[in-house]
Amino acid sequence: MRIFQKAILAVATLAIASLPALAALPKLTFGSDCTYPPMEMLDANKKIVGFDIDMIQAVAKAGGFEAVVKNTAWDGIFAGLSAGDYDAVVSAVTITDERARTMDFSIPYVDAGQVIIVNKNLNGLTTLSQFGGKKVGVQIGTTGAIEVQKFKNIKMKSYDEAGLAVEDLYIGRTDAVVVDSPTAKTYVLQNAKYKDKLKIVGEQFTDEHYGIALKKGNQKALDMINKGLAIIIKDGTLAKIADKWLK
Amino acid sequence: MTETTTANVKKTGKPPAAPEAVLRLNESSLIPGDRETLAAWKIAFFGAIVLLVALPIYRPHPFMEILSFVPDGLTATFTVTIASVCCALILGLLAGLGRIARTTIINRIATVYVEVVRGIPLLVQLFYIYYALGPLFHLNGLMSAIAALSICYGAYLAEIFRAGIQSIPKGQMEAALALGMSRTQALWKIILPQTVKVVLPPIGNEFIALLKDSSLVSILAVSDLLRRGREFASTTFNYLEAYTVVALIYLVMTLFFSRLVGLMEERLRTHGRQHH
Repeated sequence: MRIFQKAILAVATLAIASLPALAALPKLTFGSDCTYPPMEMLDANKKIVGFDIDMIQAVAKAGGFEAVVKNTAWDGIFAGLSAGDYDAVVSAVTITDERARTMDFSIPYVDAGQVIIVNKNLNGLTTLSQFGGKKVGVQIGTTGAIEVQKFKNIKMKSYDEAGLAVEDLYIGRTDAVVVDSPTAKTYVLQNAKYKDKLKIVGEQFTDEHYGIALKKGNQKALDMINKGLAIIIKDGTLAKIADKWLK
Repeated sequence: MTETTTANVKKTGKPPAAPEAVLRLNESSLIPGDRETLAAWKIAFFGAIVLLVALPIYRPHPFMEILSFVPDGLTATFTVTIASVCCALILGLLAGLGRIARTTIINRIATVYVEVVRGIPLLVQLFYIYYALGPLFHLNGLMSAIAALSICYGAYLAEIFRAGIQSIPKGQMEAALALGMSRTQALWKIILPQTVKVVLPPIGNEFIALLKDSSLVSILAVSDLLRRGREFASTTFNYLEAYTVVALIYLVMTLFFSRLVGLMEERLRTHGRQHH
């Protein structure tokens, strides 16, 4: 009996001692609004795919942690971050001063900016200031919405998803959509339904950088992410992922 | 309206016991006689108003900014609600009459409409009318919202109208027919006026429910009260503050209207008693 007890104790000790070795990698969860191609979206098998997803997995590998991505709605994505539903947000988040006041950002990983999508038949309008009195669609709470709001004479319509804004432009109920350039290109250049009816006009009119957003003060996670990002930027992995998703 | 009803009752010589019994069943909303409910109503209503006034004074940032951001949303909420109630009343009355019609085809159409619409969630109907039927009809957000809410609430009101008409004692119709009226005449002159009295409180409650459900139209990019609150919260991150203000404004509106419905109910009841 005694020997049996000892044996169990020994096995248990061994198991506990080996646990940290097995689960050595710390786990970080990431919130993402997967309605934003090509950055993050659901494929036909409801799997989360996209630039950000490949990028964060590469960062995790380089930074030495395990990354789990959780699908969530954009409207309220930062409230979920501060509530602790996930450790960070990787969702094509533009680094802005306003946002940097309430959360921490990783080093930037993509340069993007706002562009205007219009109907193919609409000619002559190329900058936002020319859209006075017109209806312009945006996704709620995005940098696009913030830009459009600066023009008081534009009738802004804010949608839950960028895709719904593009669909409404396609139907003809709005005159333009303002959205991040990678997403605009996916809708206008690659989508079979939209590519013959819509076009991007003018130049990218804001200079923006995507970053990974974290709750203020989560220095440990921020360091791991920044370390991983620095490695994949340097060794060319990030450029490869960009080649795959952002053409 | 009550005068006509009593006149009708006198004319047909039927005691108004039955409609009154139906009225008692409708005591679902606030009844001024109920002291507990009234006290709770006062706390909620005035509490909400005091908060709405005190918060911006106590913390102008961000409450004052929120209060100046949402008013046009309130206009949209009211436009949608009032236009929908008007259309739903017409649609509901027609469908309600259809539900008791003797002509099979009319009855069938009305019944299918009620069953189909009541079986589909309002949120799905909104998406359907705006996005699925969008390419066909080109209704703008506001029109789609009004159409969806009218069609949905028309079906619910149809059931209220049907129940109201059927709650009028058979003897009223029989007496009217005995006096030489046609069925249609009896319906319009004897039955419907009495029905109005029975259905007013539940219609009032449906109006309040519609006011609350109008917040669903924010998904169609209609800038209603909720959408304005969401827009504010999503760029400033003041979620707690923005949604508190939105909730308080809805609360003040629905409590105000539920009190009106309660008062109306009370009036209808005491009016009925006076003529005994």
